[in-house]
Amino acid sequence: MTPILEATSICKTYRLGRVDVPVLRGASIEAGEGECVAVLGASGSGKSTLLHILGGLDRPDRTDGGSVSFRGSALQDMSAGELDRYRRTNVGFVFQFYHLLPELNVLQNTLLAPMVRNGRFAYTKRSGELRTRAEGLLSRFGLGERLRHRPVELSGGERQRVAIARALMNEPDVLLADEPTGNLDQTTGASILAAMMELRAETGLTMVVVTHDKATAQRADRVVELRDGVMGASGAPVPA
Amino acid sequence: MYQALITRRYLFSKIMPLLSVLAVMLCTAMVLVVWSVMGGFLNLLLASGKSMIGDVSIAWPVVGISHYEELIDRLEADPSIDAATPMIETPGMLSLPGGDVRLVQVMGVEPAGYDAVTGYYERLWWRYLAEPLPKDEERRDPRLDEPRLDEVLEHGRVLREPDIATGLDRDAIALGIEVTRSNARTSGGIVVPQFFFGPAEEVTLQVMPLSRRGVPVTGAGPASAQLPIANEFRTGLYEADANWVVVPIGLLQRLLLMDEAERVGGGGPRLEIDEDGNESWVVPEVIGVEPSRVTTILIKASEGVSADDCEVATRAVYEQLHADLATRDRYIPDPARISIYTWERKPGLEMFIAAVKKETALVLVLFGFISLTAVFLVFAIFWSMISEKTKDIGVLRAIGASRAGIAWLFLRYGMVIGITGSLAGGAVAWLIVANINPIHEWLGRALGLVIWDPSVYYFSEIPSELEAGKATIVLSLGVLASVLGALVPALRAAWMDPVKALRFE
Repeated sequence: MTPILEATSICKTYRLGRVDVPVLRGASIEAGEGECVAVLGASGSGKSTLLHILGGLDRPDRTDGGSVSFRGSALQDMSAGELDRYRRTNVGFVFQFYHLLPELNVLQNTLLAPMVRNGRFAYTKRSGELRTRAEGLLSRFGLGERLRHRPVELSGGERQRVAIARALMNEPDVLLADEPTGNLDQTTGASILAAMMELRAETGLTMVVVTHDKATAQRADRVVELRDGVMGASGAPVPA
Repeated sequence: MYQALITRRYLFSKIMPLLSVLAVMLCTAMVLVVWSVMGGFLNLLLASGKSMIGDVSIAWPVVGISHYEELIDRLEADPSIDAATPMIETPGMLSLPGGDVRLVQVMGVEPAGYDAVTGYYERLWWRYLAEPLPKDEERRDPRLDEPRLDEVLEHGRVLREPDIATGLDRDAIALGIEVTRSNARTSGGIVVPQFFFGPAEEVTLQVMPLSRRGVPVTGAGPASAQLPIANEFRTGLYEADANWVVVPIGLLQRLLLMDEAERVGGGGPRLEIDEDGNESWVVPEVIGVEPSRVTTILIKASEGVSADDCEVATRAVYEQLHADLATRDRYIPDPARISIYTWERKPGLEMFIAAVKKETALVLVLFGFISLTAVFLVFAIFWSMISEKTKDIGVLRAIGASRAGIAWLFLRYGMVIGITGSLAGGAVAWLIVANINPIHEWLGRALGLVIWDPSVYYFSEIPSELEAGKATIVLSLGVLASVLGALVPALRAAWMDPVKALRFE
């Protein structure tokens, strides 16, 4: 399978005060077109950092010769503007703590992504179509009746569904999910995962899901393990 | 696009942005009110000064200007001059019926000509009013329902009224509305004049005739005249209303010995004794006529002619008059020495206008500095708000918002706060300026607080004008101040590391 997103020998060191803390030490990962890859690892193993680098939010250290590429284009060579465009066009993020804007209602939070992507004139021109799409996505996630509700009026599962809808609004090539069920109870988490997998099956979306939960990892096509900043075992998920 | 949505939601979701709006509103309103009052004061001062003395004056105090009728004829023949009128200005003492004595500035005028140049008739106070003035809701004005005041108005216009004993017309005096102090403003605001001297009552005016050298005329003490009060006038300029009185110019010329007189040779009457020892007074030979004189000529420029151009024309006319008459009248003042000035350069007024202009600028600068607090307030509020919204910034960057987009979000937010605050400030300023005198009167009634003392500020009401140009400048500066206050926090937001922002707790 041709990798759509590939990271090779990624290193990343953070500086905490006077101390350099290496988080990634030559991590490599690839995700093929339509593939769902789970990155399994303990807390502090560098999973989220890897995801941020894959999503163009962060850059790897330049000194170690590692590279990240999307459809063959090296992210480390992209300008800040190109990385912005990459994030708003090719990538969708889902976070553990949802990260919805509390002042906006469900529909507005969902439409935020196309607003950022399209700019005023293009958005205004397509506003009807985009609104219909957002309402469709939200209805599919069972939020059709809660479009005007603020995040504070929603449960954790509902908030995460809104976050997923927002991530999917721009029809990205890759969905990067950072512990998407980490803040939810088991049942809610399972239903969120089911919804994501269903969407993936329909759209051929490539997914990289970071988790420390083996049950979540089991739903992926492939699992890679991250230990102390380097990749460990890789392979098909092992049934629990 | 997302900036508009988020700005709208942020604006009404928290108290902090509303505090910023309030700060901008207060600052813009404060500066605008101060500027309007100071500017209104200056404009009224200029307008009042102009309306009381015309556009240009020719002045030759004490000695006076002879041949003034000819000068006025020549001035009025000039196309740049609309009208000219003679006047005598002199200090005097005024004894009121109750025994009060006032030191006043006496103006001797030809009423019709004085009106043509200064609009004197319009300032006469006592006249019949069919309808109350807008502020007189209780119809307390004694001029209402008094048709007989038309007669009093006419007396003021001609400065004459009939003697109640003989029925013959005689000279009369018009007083500034506050000369008697019966009509003085109190903390309750303008008191509608309640007292007017009747025709049976008289005032005594005393003036001091001076020689050409500025010393009392030998053998002549102060000259006095008993005069009925024809009317009172109100200019709005406290200095004039409290100190000026107007009398017919002929009367003042007689009192000051500035009227036409025979010129005699030989130093005055002398006693002669003939051969038989008989004594007789010999009157000296009349060798000419001393023309009557005035101290000032007031000139009104023609429509569309500036005071400066009018001054140039006046000077040319006067120089020609001097050239024509100097050979037969050695007393006609030299053009180089006589004072010809526009109303703005009238001695005393010029310095005062300059002082008010400087004071206005100084006050505006001071208030401008105070208003800088709005910049710092907006800065502080935005700085803390950006800390609070760090996660939102991380989310926006994660979904592809650029640094410029984030900066614009907060700059736009600052601009919206500036526009909202400035517009509200403009509205508040307009309300205050439009009602500044009622507000001041209320403060006087409720708290005994008289901020605007007319004896200090010249005008009996607080002048104020909210000009569109000034409002535009102040409101634009209000918006600019908000944007400046938001600038550094906006840049901080734009350069925030999105990963750190997302992890911010």
